[in-house]
Amino acid sequence: MSTDVKASWVSARLPILAQAQVFFTERNLAREAPYLGLLPALITAALVFMAASGLVLSVYYNGGQGFSSLQFIDRDVSNGWLIHAFHETGTTMIFGAVFLYLFRGIFTRAYKAPGELVWIFGVAQFALLLLVGWLGYTLTDGAVSHWSLTTSADDATLLTGIPGAVATWFFGGPAGEGTLSRLVVFHTVLALAVFAIAALHYAGSKAIAPKVSGRQAVGFHPYYTSQYFVALVVFALIFSVLVFFAPHLGENPLNAGPADPLIVPAALTPPWYLAPLSAVQSVFPGIYGGIIGVVAALGVLFALPWLDRSGPNGRAGFVYKLLVVVLALDVIGLALAISAGPSAIAGILVLVFTVWYFLHFLVLTPLVTALEAE
Amino acid sequence: MRLIFTPVLAASLLFAAHARADDTLTPLHFQSQGTFGSYDKAALQRGFLVYQSVCAGCHSANELHYRDLEALGFTPDQVAGIAANVKLADGSAATLDDVFKAPPVQEAAFGGAVPPDLSNIVNERPKGLEYVYSLLTGYPAAAPDNVNLLPGHYYNLAYPGNQIAMPAPLKGNDVAYADGTQATAQQEAADVSAFLAWAADPNLDTRHAVGLRAVLFLAFLTIIAIASKRKIWRESV
Repeated sequence: MSTDVKASWVSARLPILAQAQVFFTERNLAREAPYLGLLPALITAALVFMAASGLVLSVYYNGGQGFSSLQFIDRDVSNGWLIHAFHETGTTMIFGAVFLYLFRGIFTRAYKAPGELVWIFGVAQFALLLLVGWLGYTLTDGAVSHWSLTTSADDATLLTGIPGAVATWFFGGPAGEGTLSRLVVFHTVLALAVFAIAALHYAGSKAIAPKVSGRQAVGFHPYYTSQYFVALVVFALIFSVLVFFAPHLGENPLNAGPADPLIVPAALTPPWYLAPLSAVQSVFPGIYGGIIGVVAALGVLFALPWLDRSGPNGRAGFVYKLLVVVLALDVIGLALAISAGPSAIAGILVLVFTVWYFLHFLVLTPLVTALEAE
Repeated sequence: MRLIFTPVLAASLLFAAHARADDTLTPLHFQSQGTFGSYDKAALQRGFLVYQSVCAGCHSANELHYRDLEALGFTPDQVAGIAANVKLADGSAATLDDVFKAPPVQEAAFGGAVPPDLSNIVNERPKGLEYVYSLLTGYPAAAPDNVNLLPGHYYNLAYPGNQIAMPAPLKGNDVAYADGTQATAQQEAADVSAFLAWAADPNLDTRHAVGLRAVLFLAFLTIIAIASKRKIWRESV
C-alpha cells in the first residue's frame, strides 16, 4: 500500500513514470522501420559514450602540455589508453553514422516536406560535430594538428568586424600556450550543445512521424526495444573491431609526434572525418576563403529542401538516385585526394570534385528533380 | 582468455628453451604485426640492449620510465639493476621512476641536426616498424655516383631525400646478446625496431587480448539479439 501512496505522490508531482509507460507500451508505432532509420538514436548513444569517455580524459588532460598529458594518459593512467582509444575511435563511429545519415536523407529525400526542419537539425548537428571534432583534433597537440590550429588562429586574427570579434573571443588571439586550455572548454560546451540539437531532432522527427493505430500499430516495447538492441550491438561490434584492431584508422601518422613550432610536417592532412570539408575549403583562396568554403559546402546541405524542385508529390527517379550515389563517391574522392598529400594531381582532383559537389546541389538537383517530377 | 593463452605461452616457453632467436629476417617479419600480433619479449629485451648501448648515446626517449621495462619480461630486480647502472646528469643513479636518461644536447655534433626523440618514432612514420628497420639497414657501402652528398650527410635508402645526418649506427656485434643470438647488424636492427614498436605502443598485447574477447562476445550477442528480435516480431502478427 505504501508503494502505491509513494507512486501517486510522485506521479502527482512528476508524471514521468506514467509518460514512460505510455512511451514504451502504447501501440502507436508503424511496423517495419528500417535499421538505418535508427541512425539518429545510435548517434545519440555514441554522443553519450563520448561524453563519458571525454569526462575521464578531461580529468587528466592538461591544455598547457596537451601532447605530454595524452602520453601520460596512454602510458601511466590505469586503462587510460583504453579510454583515449574509445574517445578517438568513437569519433570515427559518430561521423560514420552522421555521414550515412546524411547520405540516406539525400538518397530517400527525407528532407522533403514536412521533413525540412528535421533535415536542418540533422545538418546543424553535422556542422556542430565538425567543429567539435576539429577542436578535439587540435587538442591532440600533435605535429600536424598544431599547424591546423596555428593557421586557423593566425588567419582569424586577420578578420575584421563581427567575424574578427567572434574569432578573437574564440581563439583569444594567435595560437600560443593558453590556446588549448581555452579550446578544451569550447570542445566540451559545444559537444553538450550537440545534445540539444539531437533533442530538437528527436522532437521534430516524432512530430512528423505518421500516426498509426489499430492492428497496424505496435508498441515500442518489446518490438522496437529488440530492434534497437540489435542495432546497438552491431554498432558496438564494429566499434570494437576498430578500437582494438585499427585504433588510428583514418589519421595522419605524422600527427603521432609532438607539436613543434619550428617544423612543418611533409603532409598536413586532417583526420578522415574532416577531410572532405578541408578539401572543399582548400579550393577557396584568401583569408576568408576557408570560411566561405565551409559555409558554402554546408549551406547547400541546409538549402537542399528548397533545391529539390519536384514539388510535394514528386517521386524520386532513377537518375536522381544515381546522382546521389555519384555524390557519395565524389565526397569520398575529396577525402582521398586531400589525404594523399600535396601534389599537382591531387590539387586538380580536389578542384574537380569540389566543382562537382556544388554542381550536384546547385544545378543537377533542381534540374533532375524538376524533370523527373513531370 | 588466460586459459586459451596458457598453452600458447607454454608452447612459446618450450620453443624458447633453445634460447636463440628464430630467424625473423628472411623474410622480415615481426611478431607484433598482424591482427592478433603480440610482442616477442626476447626480441624486446635484445632490442632494449641495442637501444641502451647504441641509440641512447644520442637519442632521448622522454616518454619512457625505467619502471616500464618490466613489461619486457625483466624481473623487478633486473629493472632496478638496469636503472641503478644509469648515471644521471647530476651523478646520482637513476631510479625506477626516472624517465630514460636523455643524452646531453650537442648542437654542433651532427651539423645542427637534432636526433629525434624515439618514444613514438614507430607511430610517427608511415609503416613505422618497417621504416625503422629499413632506415637502420639502409646504408649502402657507397652512395651512387650521381648523388652529391651534403657535407656531414650519409646516403640512406629509406630516409626521405636519401641524405641523413645520422652515420650508420649498427655495424654488427655492437652488443653481445645474452641468449646467444648472433648480433648481426640486421638482427640488431630488427630487435631495436621491435623494441621501439613496443615503446610507441606498449599496450598492444592487452589491446589485442581484450579486443578478441570483446569481439567474440559481441558477435555472439549479435546472433542472440537478431534471434530474439525476429522471434518477437514474428509473434506480433
